[in-house]
Order: sequence, then C-alpha cells, then structure tokens
Amino acid sequence: MRPEAQVSRILFLAATVVGVLLTLAILWFMVRLGLPLFSTHSLRLLLTQDWAPDRGLYGIFPFICGSGAVVSLSLLLAFPLSLGNAVLIHLLAPRHLARILYQMVKMMTGVPTVIYGFVGIFLLVPLVREWFSRGSGMSVLSAGILLALLIAPTMILVFLESFAAVSTSHLRALEALGGTRRQKLVHVILPGARRGIITGFLLASGRAVGDTMIALMVAGNAVATPESILDPVRTLTAHIALVMAADFDSMEFKTIFACGITLYLWTAILTLSLRFLHFKATKTSMQVGHEQSF
Amino acid sequence: MSRVFDYLLYLFAWGSGLILVGAFAVFMGFLLSQGLPALDSSLLFGRTGMVDALLLQRVVIDGLLPALVGTLLLIFLALAAAVPFGLGAGIYLAEYAGKSSKALFSLVFDLLAGVPSIVIGLFGFSLTVFLHKRFTFITPCLLISALALALLILPYLIRSTQTALEELPATLRLTAAALGADQATTIRLVLLPQAAAGILSGIVLAIGRAAEDTAVIMLTGVVVSAGIPRSLFNSFEALPFYIYNAASQFSNQQELQRGFGAALILLILCGLLFTLAWLLRKKVTARLLYHH
Amino acid sequence: MANIIEIENLSFYYGQKRILDNISAAFGKSAIVALTGPSGSGKSTFLMTINRLWEEFAGARMSGQVSLFIDQEKLDIYARDISLSWLRRKVGMVFQSPNPLPMSIYRNLALPLRMAGWKNKEIIGHKVESVLKQAYLWSEVKGRLRDDARTLSGGQQQRLCIARAMILEPAILLLDEPTSSLDEKAAREIEALIFSLKEQCTLLMVSHDQAQIKRVADEVMEIVGGRMSGL
Repeated sequence: MRPEAQVSRILFLAATVVGVLLTLAILWFMVRLGLPLFSTHSLRLLLTQDWAPDRGLYGIFPFICGSGAVVSLSLLLAFPLSLGNAVLIHLLAPRHLARILYQMVKMMTGVPTVIYGFVGIFLLVPLVREWFSRGSGMSVLSAGILLALLIAPTMILVFLESFAAVSTSHLRALEALGGTRRQKLVHVILPGARRGIITGFLLASGRAVGDTMIALMVAGNAVATPESILDPVRTLTAHIALVMAADFDSMEFKTIFACGITLYLWTAILTLSLRFLHFKATKTSMQVGHEQSF
Repeated sequence: MSRVFDYLLYLFAWGSGLILVGAFAVFMGFLLSQGLPALDSSLLFGRTGMVDALLLQRVVIDGLLPALVGTLLLIFLALAAAVPFGLGAGIYLAEYAGKSSKALFSLVFDLLAGVPSIVIGLFGFSLTVFLHKRFTFITPCLLISALALALLILPYLIRSTQTALEELPATLRLTAAALGADQATTIRLVLLPQAAAGILSGIVLAIGRAAEDTAVIMLTGVVVSAGIPRSLFNSFEALPFYIYNAASQFSNQQELQRGFGAALILLILCGLLFTLAWLLRKKVTARLLYHH
Repeated sequence: MANIIEIENLSFYYGQKRILDNISAAFGKSAIVALTGPSGSGKSTFLMTINRLWEEFAGARMSGQVSLFIDQEKLDIYARDISLSWLRRKVGMVFQSPNPLPMSIYRNLALPLRMAGWKNKEIIGHKVESVLKQAYLWSEVKGRLRDDARTLSGGQQQRLCIARAMILEPAILLLDEPTSSLDEKAAREIEALIFSLKEQCTLLMVSHDQAQIKRVADEVMEIVGGRMSGL
C-alpha cells in the first residue's frame, strides 16, 4: 500500500477510535463522579429510596417512576396514533392526500422539542387544568400528550418504511385471490412489518426516555411518586436539569450522576434490544456470492 | 362481521390521521397567532438601533439578536468539530473495517446515538469541572457547549456517511479498480463524490439537532443574558434556552410575547437551514460530478 | 512476432469449483485475439487474471504464472513488487455492459488521469478531446460534455468506456463481450473502433459472434470447460 494511502487509513481509524473513547468516557465520568454517593448509599437504596434531602434521603426512585409514567403514557398514546397514520398513508388515503400527510409528518420531526414544551405550557396545560379542574395542569398527562406528539412522527416514518419493504409478491398473490385492503393489511402487511413495528416502537421509546425539555416544562417537577396521571412528576432528565443549579459538592448534586447512569443504561438496553432484533434479521437473510462474475 | 371490522379499521386510521393533523394544526396555529405579532425589528434588536447592534457598537439587552447569534455560532462550531470525526469514522466503518470490528464499532455508535442529550450535557459539565481544576480559565462556555453538541451529533454524521457509502452500487468500486485506482483514490475521487448528497443530508440532520437542543447547552454554559460572545471562553445566549427561560420566568405580557416570537424564529431558522442545506446539496453534487 | 502476454499453467478456483484448468498460452503484440467458447467456460475469468481484477472478489484463488513483456522486459504480474495500479493502467478493461460512472461525460474520461495523479487541467482537457476523437465520439458529444454520461445511447456509452480505458494508453486492452448488449448498428461501430485500436495496443476480446470474430480477429482461441485450444 502506498504510504499516503496508509496515512488516510490511519486517520480514519483514529477518528473512529476517538468516537468510541468518547462514548465510553461519558459512562466513565459519571461513574467516577457519582462514586462518593455509593460509599454511603447502596445501589438498592439509591434506586428504591425516596428523595428527601432534608431527611438525608437521596433515592431517585420517584424520578424513575416519573420517567416511567410519562414515557409509558406517551407510548400508549403514540403507538396506536402512529399505526393508524401509517396505515392511512400507506394504504387508505388517496395518493396526493397521503403525500401531503407524509410531508407533514416529516416536517414534524424537525420541530424543536423546546417549542413543544413552550406551546404546551400556554395551550395544553391550561386546558388540562380546566378539563379536570384539579392541580395546576402540569402533570403526567400533559407531558405524555406532548411527548406522544414528539415521538409519533419518528414511529410513523419507521412504520412506513417497513410497510414499504413488505414483499410485493405476497401482496400480488393476495390481490389475485381477490383480497380486500383490510385482508392485505391484516394478513400480509402487518405480519411482514412486525420487526419494523417493534423497531419504531423501541426507537421512539428511546427518544421519549431521553427527552428533557417537555417533562421539565410541563410535567410539574414534583418529587413525589405519582399516583394518578393528573399528578405532577419529575423525570430523571428533568431532575438533572433542576439540580444542576445547586451546590457542586452537595450530596444532592451527586445524585444527578446516578440519574445519568440510569438514563445511560436505560437507553443502552433499548439500543441493545434493537441490535438483537436486527442481528437475528440479518443472520437469516445474509449471503454472499459472486458466482455470476466467474 | 368482516364488514364491521372494515369500518372499524377505516374509523381507526382516519381518526388517527384527523387527530394528528388536528393537533399539529392547533399547535402551529397557536404558535403563529401568538408569535407573528411579535415579529418586528425590536424583537431582534430590542431598544438598540439595528445598525449599532449589528456593528457590535452597543450591547443588545432585551432583543433576540445575541441568542440568534449564539445559536448560529453553536451550530457552526459544533459542525466544525464533529464533521471531520463523523466523516472519518463513517468512511472507516464503510470502507476499511473488518466484519467484527465494524459490528463492534457500530454498536458503540448506536449506543452513543441513544444517549439522552441531558447526559451528554452532564458529561460536558463534568469535563469542565475536571478541566477547571487544572486550567482555571476554563468554565462553562461557548466552546464547551459546542464540543458537547458535537458529541451529540457525531453518531448521526457517522451513520449517514457510512450508509451513503455502503449503499453505492458495487460496480462503482469494480470500475474504479479496473481503471487502476487503489482504495484511497477510489474513495476520494469516486465514492465520496457519489455519496456527497447522502452525507450532506446527514449534516442537515445534524444541524437540526444542534440548533434545537436545549438540554446540552443548559448544563454547559448558556445563560439568560450575556450579549454576543466575544471569545470561545465566554458564556453565551441561545434561542432554545431563551424560549425555555421565557416560559418559566416571564414577568409581563411583553416578555411572554417575545418568547413566542423566539419560538417562531427558531422554527423559521430550522426551516431556513434545512432549505439552505438542501440547495447546497444539489450544488455540491453538481460540482463534484458534472462540472469540469 | 514478439509475444506480449505469456501464460503458464494457469488454474483458477472459485470456492470449490475449478473455473480454469491448467491453461498455457501466449499472445503476440498488436493483434486482436478473439476468445470464444460456450458461456460459463471461464472466458471472463481468464481476462480478469490478466489485470488481476478477480482479486476484488472474495472466495477466488488461482495458481500459475502470467507475464507481460513491457519495454523488452518480462514481468511476472503476480510478483510482489508489481503495483496493482500500474498493472491496471497498462492493462485496460471494457465490460460486457457499458459502465459509465454516474457523472458527466467529461469527468468519466478525466477520472483515470486524475486517479493516476494528473493535475494540469489543460493537458487533461486535450487528452479528453483527442481520445474522444479517436473513439469517433467527439462530434456527437462535444456540445454536451457536462451531461450525465448515462444519457448517451448504449453504443455511445460503450465507445465512451473504450475511450476511458484508452486514455491511459494501455499496452493491452481486455474486452469482455463488448457488443453483446448493443444492437447491430452500434455493434458495427464498436467493431470499427476496436479494429482501429490495433495500431496502439494488443486487444483480447471475448466474443460469441462468429461473424464478428471473422471480421476483426487475427487469432482465435477457444476455451471449453476451463481448457484452452487454439483454432
């Protein structure tokens, strides 16, 4: 290999290695800085205790519940909504309407989350307050609805991609038998796109877990474990943002690294499940061959 | 029976569509109706004259200009830091890496792509604390924010570069090889120009992410009022943070109105950047593949 | 007549399958040699052993020796110190279906020069013009050099690909059924072009078309079941 070719190879490798090291450094830094916490709190306590700094309790359990509640609700709302929209765009809507809808969905993926949060505070929160005439309106419900709106476009696009990848020969076969659009959907498209549907769901839940601004702005940030969807909650992400303002050396401050690690691991598990899903997929469909060249 | 099922399916799909379109329309309508009246020159420049503000003669106190400039600087710096690494790693994964190292590296970058932005921000902050102990002049600032944002957009750049290269037809490589090109030359003169459009799309995506992200900068140096930063080590303002702050700290109707104005400007900015990058993409492709 | 290619005991395998079986042959300078034989008999593979293009595919291997005579010197092209880039500039190749790259006509032709390290735009421009003239394409494309090469007709594309291979002034040009994807008229034009190139280099052409072989070839070799016989 020519020396300059060797140089470019090494430069590209170096860029890759730097990226890998930074990814690992994120986890390392958080573990390192959160370490003092573990000297006084066991992992179990941290994950299960309440948050009450005045009583010396630094558990992040309420925030895990908060994140869990907001994310679950948003997925519960967004999944059927996205599936319905994907079916509408792929199968039912007239062509030009489908195209307009598709463009709108693509546009929605570009809307900054902080704008969702901002509009949410002044539009959705007052509505929730009036409808249920309870609390401030800042609640799991408000955050869940906005988050659903944030993640639905991602889900719809992934669903559509997997619908489009469903083998056309099966569709033709069903058409030849006089199948209706519903039969096409139920017997061919949905089963064929099963993996894509799971992918979209997991990707969207990753976005929901990681989002900070919506929860921070409209979920109310109360430290108590929620009992109803009208209760205000604080998510792991919001907790990090809120405690940042506090004193660096305090115990309180160190808990945010526990939140950081929890978030890192939570999203890592989602990523690994996605990986596993696709690893199984490629294993069955991979084959290499150049027979026709020789 | 199946007739009923058909109706339910139609109802479900059209209902979902209606809800989504309705929600988005209400959302945009509200933003436009509240934000449009705020769009005038005082929104950007406050009570400072436009010329003075642009020439940095006088500091803009209550206008959006510093936040807008801050956001643009952030995007520019984050791209400058991330693009070389993103392209380099993308090229390595697509063209050089062996099967198992590729699987491992892609997994790591998938993990990075999944890391929430607030965690990236926390990392940036920790790094600042770490550096501050050695170099006291390093505090949360524009440079740190930009570097943290660079880390946030890095996986997008890597993946789009890698996919753009891997999707190219195998005949390109074979044709180039038959003409006597080695691997590095093939990448430089044949593959990269062909993949340019895809790579630029990835950059567009990255710009969008860098422009809108609030969590990262919140932890690494953005402040409510700083004016236009004079160096990389100054704190700075940014549009998304301005919007967040306006929502929680507004004290009168006028400040709230400015918040809506800022939200609209951020939305327009994102739109403009997308359009610009789209135009650039066409131009770059034409230049690389069709001009002498 | 002096030889330019010598092949000794060449065998070729793809996976478990033997494609070429102990072939020895020699080809003279400045001639058009036609390779014929039933499809799947290993003709294309044989061509690819002369520019080592088969090495781009995983799972293939070969044994035996291939030598070129360049500047009165016998070179083993599989020797360690042979640069692949140098070899493939000396041994050009034209494929069965035209493969212009998805870029402008001009860039397609300038590319091999730029890949070989040429920088001077003016000289590149001159070379492009002269090679286009040689391929009888200049008058057809001179006004549209910036157009995508894929907008040309099939015959024009194949002439462009021949021109692209010739711009590096190779000593040998390998042609893998260069007219099989074209209509009769376009095929005749390619044939005429190939015939005119004989002055500049040695041409090895795979062809199934016996009439075509009669019209252009100086020598004919047949490969059947991986073995070679002269005709």
